[in-house]
Amino acid sequence: MSPERFRTVVSAVLIVGVSISAALIAAGFAAALAVGWQGSLAGSVVGSATPGHVAATTDFSNLAARLAALQPLALAQLGLLTLLATPVARVAASVIGFASERDRLYTAITAAVLVILLGSIFLLR
Amino acid sequence: MTPQADLGIFAVCVVAGLIGALAGVGGGILVIPALTIGFGVDIHLAVGASIVSVIATSSGAASAYVRDRMTNMRIGMFLELATTTGAVCGALLAAIVAPAFLYLLLGLVLLGSAAMQISRLGEETPPAGPPSALAIRLRLTDSYPDRKLGREVPYSARRIPLGFVLMWLAGVVSGLLGIGSGVLKVLAMDGAMRLPMKVGSATSNFMIGVTAAASAGIYLARGDVDPLIAGPVALGVLTGAVVGARLIQHISNRSVRLVFLPVLVVVGLETMARGLGFGI
Repeated sequence: MSPERFRTVVSAVLIVGVSISAALIAAGFAAALAVGWQGSLAGSVVGSATPGHVAATTDFSNLAARLAALQPLALAQLGLLTLLATPVARVAASVIGFASERDRLYTAITAAVLVILLGSIFLLR
Repeated sequence: MTPQADLGIFAVCVVAGLIGALAGVGGGILVIPALTIGFGVDIHLAVGASIVSVIATSSGAASAYVRDRMTNMRIGMFLELATTTGAVCGALLAAIVAPAFLYLLLGLVLLGSAAMQISRLGEETPPAGPPSALAIRLRLTDSYPDRKLGREVPYSARRIPLGFVLMWLAGVVSGLLGIGSGVLKVLAMDGAMRLPMKVGSATSNFMIGVTAAASAGIYLARGDVDPLIAGPVALGVLTGAVVGARLIQHISNRSVRLVFLPVLVVVGLETMARGLGFGI
């Protein structure tokens, strides 16, 4: 991969991550105006562990089921998760980029950053 | 939040994203007080939204900075090694170190650095010289296209060990106190490593997203990320950052420093205030 192409790829990863995220958040807000944050664009009832209980907006659990019901809150939450994952994807893309340039030193440095990053996301809480 | 409040948050965050992209900082210093004082948002949700704003500033601006060769990805990844390990050390130290003293110390360092920044207000690009052996071995020399000057500006990282140690400390501080990582990064790249302001700002921008992502999991798990607040923050900051990353092409390194300096002074004062026990 040429340095030029490497930059294009990293830049593209960022643009794609940011665009998907912004689109999902905007879609969530537009949809919330129509059916409310806890409603459903699919017309189905959004599942909750206890009937009548409405989960907090900061609760990211059960996301897949809520996305399937096209819940506006779930769309905005997925958008935020996409945004938070974008830097991780960018570091991962840089590992591949440096590796394809056969730059061993920077492949190792970037891989170490990725490991520390993933470790702190999943272990520090 | 009413739609009016959402629009208000969005508008404030456009400004935060713009300043953040230009100065190489996350915009948390603007976003947190705007949310708590301006819109009555709970401090925990405001801090959660500010983590989102740092990542939005970084990713929104970096897409253009990387493409336009403003960001030095090698310097960014090399120094990221220092900041991430520092941040982990800081998070582990948090239980045993008194934060008040640290806030005061950091505040003093930042205000002292502001004085040094004033002495450099007239400097457009750092004085050039032959790259050190270490800079060549680590490949930390490059050039960036400066449209304002109308030429390619070569640069090489100086005092690399000092820069690395300062970056590690920046990581420790941000892990301990959760603030100041962007300004410390710009200061280390400008003051110690003598990179041109635009390169330092763009590379800091590139890095702060990674540092913030490392702690995002904690805030998500705590329930501090509320889409109703973080959503308009993300959209506003992204808009501002994308505009800022294009604007930087048309201004000088001197102007970038003029944007950075007040940010540095505000962060310094805010940090001192927290150390003295009356922070926001």
